[in-house]
Order: sequence, then structure tokens, then C-alpha cells
Amino acid sequence: MTYQEFKKAVIGIAMEKQISDYELYYTEGDAASVEIFKEEIKSYKTESSKGICFRCIVDGKAGYASTENLTEEEAESLVIRALENAKSIESSEQSFLHNTGDTYAVCEADTTSVPTGAELVDAAMEIQKEMYHADTRVADGTQTDFGHGRDRYALYNSNGLDLEDTVSYTFCYASALASDGGEMYNGGKSKIGKLQEFDLKDIAGKAVEDAVSTIGAESVESGRYTIVLSNEVMATLLQTYAPVFSAENAQKGLSLLKGKEGEKIAADFITITDDPLYQDSVQKRTFDGEGVATYAKNVVENGTLTTLLHNLKTAAIAGVKSTGNASKASYASVVGVSPFIFYMHPAQDTMEEGHSMEEGHSMEGGHSMEGGSSVESLFEQAEDGIYVTDISGLHAGANPVTGDFSLLSKGFLIKEGKKSTPIKNFTMSGNFFTLLKEIETLGGDLEFLRGRYGAPSALIRNIAIAGK
Amino acid sequence: MLSKELVKEALRRALATGADYAEVFAEHTLHKMITLVSARTDTISDAVISGVGIRIFKGTRCVSGSASSLAPEAVLECASKVAEALSESAVISDIVLKERLFGDRHPVKVVPSSVPNADKIDYMREVCLAAKDYHEEITQVTGRFLEVDHKILIATSEGLFAQDRQIRSRISASAIASKDGENQTGGVGPGARKGMELLEDYDPKELGRKASRQAVTMLHAGYIKAGTMPVAIENGFGGVIFHEACGHSLEATSVALGCSQFAGKLGTVIANAKVTAIDDGTIPNAWGSINIDDEGTPSQKNVLIENGVLKTYMIDKLNGRRMGMRSTGSARRQSYEYAPTSRMTNTYIAAGEDKNEDIIASIEYGLYAKEMGGGSVNPATGQFNFAVNEGYVIRNGKICEPVRGASLIGKGSEVIMNIDMVGQDVDRGQGMCGSASGSIPTDVGQPLIRVASITVGGR
Repeated sequence: MTYQEFKKAVIGIAMEKQISDYELYYTEGDAASVEIFKEEIKSYKTESSKGICFRCIVDGKAGYASTENLTEEEAESLVIRALENAKSIESSEQSFLHNTGDTYAVCEADTTSVPTGAELVDAAMEIQKEMYHADTRVADGTQTDFGHGRDRYALYNSNGLDLEDTVSYTFCYASALASDGGEMYNGGKSKIGKLQEFDLKDIAGKAVEDAVSTIGAESVESGRYTIVLSNEVMATLLQTYAPVFSAENAQKGLSLLKGKEGEKIAADFITITDDPLYQDSVQKRTFDGEGVATYAKNVVENGTLTTLLHNLKTAAIAGVKSTGNASKASYASVVGVSPFIFYMHPAQDTMEEGHSMEEGHSMEGGHSMEGGSSVESLFEQAEDGIYVTDISGLHAGANPVTGDFSLLSKGFLIKEGKKSTPIKNFTMSGNFFTLLKEIETLGGDLEFLRGRYGAPSALIRNIAIAGK
Repeated sequence: MLSKELVKEALRRALATGADYAEVFAEHTLHKMITLVSARTDTISDAVISGVGIRIFKGTRCVSGSASSLAPEAVLECASKVAEALSESAVISDIVLKERLFGDRHPVKVVPSSVPNADKIDYMREVCLAAKDYHEEITQVTGRFLEVDHKILIATSEGLFAQDRQIRSRISASAIASKDGENQTGGVGPGARKGMELLEDYDPKELGRKASRQAVTMLHAGYIKAGTMPVAIENGFGGVIFHEACGHSLEATSVALGCSQFAGKLGTVIANAKVTAIDDGTIPNAWGSINIDDEGTPSQKNVLIENGVLKTYMIDKLNGRRMGMRSTGSARRQSYEYAPTSRMTNTYIAAGEDKNEDIIASIEYGLYAKEMGGGSVNPATGQFNFAVNEGYVIRNGKICEPVRGASLIGKGSEVIMNIDMVGQDVDRGQGMCGSASGSIPTDVGQPLIRVASITVGGR
């Protein structure tokens, strides 16, 4: 059955069962990807996926059921399961369906530039070749993944909403391995966007540089240091702690930002924005997981928490309007809250204050926007310290409920205001909420991770490092 | 799930362009999770996952495809699409599919989907209420009951035809203790390849209190000073140290490509002589157990390291071709959407001879890691990390005050040499392991062990 046929069947069954408030959330996707190892195709993969979630609201309680099996019998089972589940909900909080009346942005996915399988293979081969050419110390194990995806999202509800979004994107990950004869050193560079805008040589070069620059890395003495976090590390922390900005987590006591709206939670120069329609992003979404129109909003403005992110349910509890941040991690997920394209603004050029912020950002290129401090100027300001370029183990070593983190890191020493020798196998420990307040300076070099979380580099003092 | 005739036709189509091996994997899964917040059901997610994944090999090159449908036309289209990636001529001899039967080592008593939500909710409510009542500083408790009914079918051009039904259940609870604008967390998460009978293995009140005890203890704990020191790691989930420091690097996924710190080391000493480590997918009803792997090979008990010597890797069919070695029954995949590769099942350090009290008494100043969180590793460099959720300072051979979440980090090949005391009481803990072929249930385990020296990421 097609989505439209299945939708019709479900509507019929819902009517039969006298369910008046319900919603169908559907996603389908096509993807192709290739992995190159040495100079050979290691694997080539195509995917065609679809799934549908039925959500009904009975006495204010939401019941969910989802399936990938779009058949007549399954349509009936879907409605019965959701109804059963709705009856089991005990929470006193009310769930809602969205009404018509929003104005939605118009985003046309670029479907003209979908690369063929051969183009994906060629591009990946090119990166792989460039990586081997870039440095003689590049070792086998170096690998390039390249792919394309197209996802369609559709939402229909009994209030008359009938929406659709399509996104189309090319992605790659160049993973470089370097060896000095004994130890192995890894590095990488990822990118998401449109194939014709990818600079393959640049991606290969950055991945290799990331690996070879750490050759000979040593350990570092334990102690407290002045730290410069690279833009990608700062963006990774922002992504890890994004759940603290969810009103759902705050209302459930899972975020320390509960009740902090209007208060200073960060240094004066920090502004954090969620913009689902960000510039030329290939992942723009015009409606959220409940069909509310998306829009840009500052979550933190000059250090003050302006709003938490809301869906319809959390907004009703707080007595505010939804910020259009209802999320569905997959079609089968229950409605939660999360940002779409979430970033910390880079420092502005103090000489040209008032200059439009929106002009110079680049999604993934790694170029600094005009003005603001470069990461080198943060090294100068630090004088002596550590430049952290990679953190790992986020799912275990960083806890959004407490804000605490203790993370395996690598990077470089900063000596006399300049990037010095590489270091590895140390942890950086602290607390995200403290970090927001104590950041001393931000760079002007906004960088996005996988196009969704962005930040500039940042300088912070007195951070605990465990090494030797 | 799929008829033999349909599977045969799909295999034929997949082989049409010159592949030397084809495989059809079909799945029909029920996945349900009930979440309680403040001891009341908050949400229930309830999903049917069904589809097909088809792979072909040409030498060591692999082409795979997947489709979210078990409809005959979708299965055949998927096979044709996979074949499109090759363009050689093929001679296809007749495929005779022979059903492989095996005994079920993991019988389930009560299938969770046959039991109403209310029974699961009643149990979880008890867990949550006990957690909440444990202490006035407990401000929130989240409880979850997960049930998975995963039916799989695997057929290959070599004539294999096998089916299995994997039923798993898991209880988890997370407690938050708060004071003066600070939060600390504690949690439990036992699971097994069992149905509703899992609930009989645990006293719900005990589970709730355990989660809360940890949160409250940590709320009143300080931080350990950062540095390098000896660490005693408790049994059960403590086994995450072997899983990260060593286990992933013994998967053919990285070994076959030479991207492992242990590639080319078979038969050599890679660990302290006190270390014997095993991956065993045959443990009855264990969380990470399987009758057959996701390529249809029966699961087996693999002794990875015996008294410090590397005995075998964990190998799947594709990587086995690269390595010139046989599958060890280690191929696993989250779902039909992921291509399988070699992964762990239930992995543990076997019992040694040291006494627990001797291990603690041997440490002048160090860390006693009682409860662990997850971790990660880069198998190529061997750099790994994992979190300590509940730790205590050891001073003069005695366990002293509690200290908060520090990470332990190191290089696998070095740390595995540093495991110089191994206790006697092996226990296992449950986790979800994320890697190339998705997120899969695995057990980790060990007795109490001592690591002579490791970096502790304190403050």
C-alpha cells in the first residue's frame, strides 16, 4: 500500500472506532552510500525505508503505535494498539493536536543534484586518493564514506493539517589513519551539503592534517590549565547538553535550567539560537513533530535564558506558545523536544558592531566569518595552556542532568601564545553550566557539526586535566 | 515470514550479475517501551519493524540493500537493485534451501506481548515508588520497561535457511537526587533474553532503592583529584573495561582491515597472564545471547584470550574472507537496515584466584570503581574511555569516602597488561553496544579486578 492508501484505511478505521482526535506521522527515505578502503570499493549500500506512526488522543492522553508494514490488516492493528496504549497512560498532563492556521516557510529540496552511484564512488575515490597523496605517513585503515539521502516527512491530523517536507543531502566522512612506524593516529573530517559545493581536496587535506599533526603526541601533567576549545569541540558540547534547553526535561526535573527563564545563565556575550530554517542548510524543516510551523528563536540572548524549547504539551503546562520544537527522533518515537539547527553565535568584530550577523556564516566550510577573533588570537590570550581539538565518550562521560563532564581528549599544548606540540590520552573535566558562565572569550570561527550544531572556539581558564 | 520460493528467487536475482555469494535477511520485530515519570505512565512507544536486507559478495567486495517491506515485489526489487551494482556474467546453479534446525538454548516462559500493559506498569510503579521513598533528596524517578520480540530469517546461496525468535526484556530506572541547585543521578538496568519471567528475578523495591542510593551517595560526594593511580573495578558492569579496552579491537570488523591494535597478534601475549577473556553467545537466556548469529552461523563460546595469550578474534563471514578464517558465529546487526559485521555477545573476564579483600588491601591510594557507566574506544589507536558512576577513594587498603563521576582512560594494549589481580566472583551487566552494524544488546562481565595504574579523570 502507498502512504495515501494506508492513510485512507486508517482514517476509516479511526472513524469506525469513534476516535475523533488523531494524527499520522509518516517518513520515507532513499539513501545510497559507498565505503572506500585502500583504493577499492569495500561496500556499496542502498536503502529504501518508510514508517508510519499513528497517535490518537483519548481524554487528553496520547496513545502511539507505529509500523513499517503498510497493509490493510496492519492499519487496524495500528489503531487498536494505539488506543490500548492511550488507555494505559496515567500522567495528568494533557496532550494536544495542532490546529490549522500557521504560516509555513516554503523550502524546496534540491532534488536536481542527486548524485548517481557512480558519482558517489568517484567522489569518494578522489578523497581517498588525495588522502594517500597528502602525506607519506597515511596508513591503510584510512577510509572514505560517501553517500546521499533523501527524506520525506508527512503529517496529517484530524484537525485538517496535511503537511509535507523533503530534504535532500550529500554527506561524506573522510577518516585518516597515520602511522609513525609504531603508534597509530586517527583524524577525520565530515561534511554535509550539496555535492557540487564539496571541495574534495580540502576535505582530504583536513582529515590528514587532523591525523598527522598528532604524530608523536605525548601525555601531559595532571593539573589545572587555561583551555582553548576548538569550534568543533565547543559544538560537540553544545550538542551533548542541548537537552538541558528542553522544557520537557525542565518540567520533569531533568534539567537544571528549570525556572531559570529571564536569568543570566551564561557570560554576557553568549547568544544561542535555534533556527530550523538556517540559511542554505540542506536540513531545513518547515514544521515540527506536531505540525507547528518552525521559526528562528534565541534561547540564550547576551547571557540571559530567554526561553526553553517547547512542544504543544510543555507550552500548555508553562502557559506559553509552542516554539515549534516538537521532535520525533524517528517516525516511531514519542513526541519529545529538541532543537533543529542549534548554534552559539561567534564573537562579532568589535570594529563593526551592528554589522549583520547573518552574512558571513558558513555551514561546514570551516572558514571564519569576517571579523571576530581567530583561534590564534585565543592562543595569544591564553599564553600557556591546552588547545583541545577532540573529545570522545560523550554518551558516558557527559551527563546532561548534572552538567558534569569528564572526557577523553586530545589536542596541543599552547606555549607563549602559540600552538605547540601535540598531546593525547588526557581527560578534561568540568561542568557545562559553570563553563557557560566562565567562558572568557569566543572566537569568530563558527563551525557546524553535521550541519546541525554549531559554535565558535572558546577560551576558558582553570579547567582540570588528568594526564600523567 | 517469507516463503522459500520467494527467498530462492531473491537469491537468484541477487546473483545475476556475477556475485559469488548472496544472503537474504528478513525481520519482523515488535518493540515496545513503557515509560513512567513520577511513578505514572507517561508514554508508551509501540513499533512494528519489518523489512528485508540483502547482501552479495564478490570476493571481499560487498553490496547491500534494504527495504522496509516484506511484500514479495519489494523483496525482489531490493535483490535486483543490489545486483545492479555489479555487471558481470553469471552462471547460477540451482539453489537448494535446506532448513537448519537447532535447539533453543534460551526458552521464554511468558511472551511479553501476551500480557496487558497494566502488569508491566504495576511492577514498574513499585520500582519507582521505592526509589522515590528512599530519601527526601530524590526529586525525580524515571522507570522503563522494554520488550523486544525479534523474529529473523536468514537464507544464503549456499543453501542455508534458518529462523530464530529472540525475545528480550529489560527493566530500567533512573533516579535524580537534588540539593542546592545540584543534581546527581543513579540508575539500574537489568535485562535478559527472557519474557515476563524476568520480573521474578528482581525485587522491584530493591531495584528502586539501588538507583536512589547511588544518586544520594553521589550528591554528597566530592571529586577525586585527577591523576594516574591503581584502580579496583567491581564485577558486573565493570566488565565494560574489557569491552572497550580490548573487545572491540578483537572484532574482525577492525582486525580484517589491519585497523586494530591487536591485528597480527594471534598466539602472542597481549594481556597480563592473569587475564582469560571469553565471548560466549550461548549462555542460557543472557541478554547478549543468540542461537544463531545474523548470518545464520550457530553461536559458540569463543575463548579470546587465555592466560594472556591471544587465541582468536570474533569473525563474521565477510571479514573471514579477508582474513582467510572461518566465522566464529559473531555476525550481528541491529536490524535489516544495517549490514552485519562481527560484534560481541556476552563478553567477560573469567574468574581468577585473588581474594576481593586482598585486592582492596593491596592499594595504598587509589580508586574503587563500584558502578560503571558506558564507554567508547577507537580500535585503531586503542584509546578508550569509560565512566565511573559511583566511586570511592581507597586509602591505606581501605575503602573510604565516595567520589563523583570520573572517567578512566587509557590505551587498551597497555591497560590489559596492567590487570594484575583478578578476583573470583564473576558477574555480568547489560548494555547496548553501538558500532558499525547498529545498536545491539551485549553483556559485559568480570570479577573484581585491579588495574595497577590508569589515568583517572578527576578534578
